[in-house]
Amino acid sequence: MNGHDDISATDVLSTVRDSLCGMPVAGPPDVEAIMARGRAHRRRRLIPGVTGAAAVAAGAALAVTALTPASHLASPQPSHPAGRQPAAAAQLAAWTVTKLADGNISVTIRELADPAGLQSTLRADGVPASVTFASQQNSACRPYPGGTPTQAPQPLQATTLLKRVFPKPYDELPPPPRRGSARLVPANGRPSGPPSPSPDSTVIVIDPSALPGSAGVQLGASDSGSAILTPRVVYTGPPCTGS
Amino acid sequence: MSNEQAEFADFFRTSWEPCLRAVLAVAGSPQLAEDQVAEAFAKAWASWRKVRRHPAPNAWVVRTALNTGASWWRRRSREMPLPDHDLTAPVDLGGGLDASLLTVLRRLPARQREVIALRIFLDLDTETIARQLGIEAGTVRMHLSRAVTTLRRELTATNNHGG
Repeated sequence: MNGHDDISATDVLSTVRDSLCGMPVAGPPDVEAIMARGRAHRRRRLIPGVTGAAAVAAGAALAVTALTPASHLASPQPSHPAGRQPAAAAQLAAWTVTKLADGNISVTIRELADPAGLQSTLRADGVPASVTFASQQNSACRPYPGGTPTQAPQPLQATTLLKRVFPKPYDELPPPPRRGSARLVPANGRPSGPPSPSPDSTVIVIDPSALPGSAGVQLGASDSGSAILTPRVVYTGPPCTGS
Repeated sequence: MSNEQAEFADFFRTSWEPCLRAVLAVAGSPQLAEDQVAEAFAKAWASWRKVRRHPAPNAWVVRTALNTGASWWRRRSREMPLPDHDLTAPVDLGGGLDASLLTVLRRLPARQREVIALRIFLDLDTETIARQLGIEAGTVRMHLSRAVTTLRRELTATNNHGG
């Protein structure tokens, strides 16, 4: 024996702790930066495989939402039948559909869940819609001319139709070569805007009055990935938009 | 700032240092440990509704940081194999007890280091450590005992040399 058993386990651990706690370590970084990093993790988890045009659209939408001053969402309503008064809202944990005073429909998506419920809600609001959160789109939907974003040349190019039907995100895509911060705050004179979402949600605003007579909206996976964030304009029809 | 954000910010402020010390004791490089812990806190915020209900959220952070470090090392090892990667870039403490203890700590097997770090920096009991590491409580006790024996030997040697 060399005597080292004289020191109890508790003393050993205390000595090691006291000794190592004297070591200088870096202070915590800015918590806002950590939370921003966490939000990026959450987005990647929420939208697996987001690529190409969808990624650009998502980035634009999320950039907008992250920099818009926060406010609370509209009051929760258990349902949202068609023809309700303006500003009524149907709020679920996964998504919120809000009918704005100007007639636009704001869709705030927090989780890719219950696509059928979202589709029904949009249709009840008078928007012919097809919603699929799975990794493939409704193949029965035919793209309406000018109803699909293009990505060449960079950055994402939205057609006039897309910008009119989906003011957000397409009409708020930053103009090249730099993103103008002034565009992050809608200045379109609408009587009311969509509810400011949390930084972890994505907002799509639909203007039903901009839809051509035989057109509806499709929210679903991109051609190459599994993103929800590629709103399109498609031809209406029972297999696609229900009418 | 929402209540949830304030709650996380408070947790972050109070847990950063013990978590960093725990990871540093296991991982080695201060810069790497900081990166790992920052990444783990970011992941904690990404899953805050789950993590806040965790019985030991700071242990979740440490475990996640260590897993993140292991993942980073695996990626790096494909480019630059390091047979003893955990022992790189030790903290320069200028010698003395701190330096020698840290050196000994770093030479412990990885599992023993993890058990020691969770015990002394996060003050976790054996059962919680076992749950965190996914091992039996008896195994935790065994690792702890062996680590303490090694550290005790170092302490005794240091005391003897110091007169």
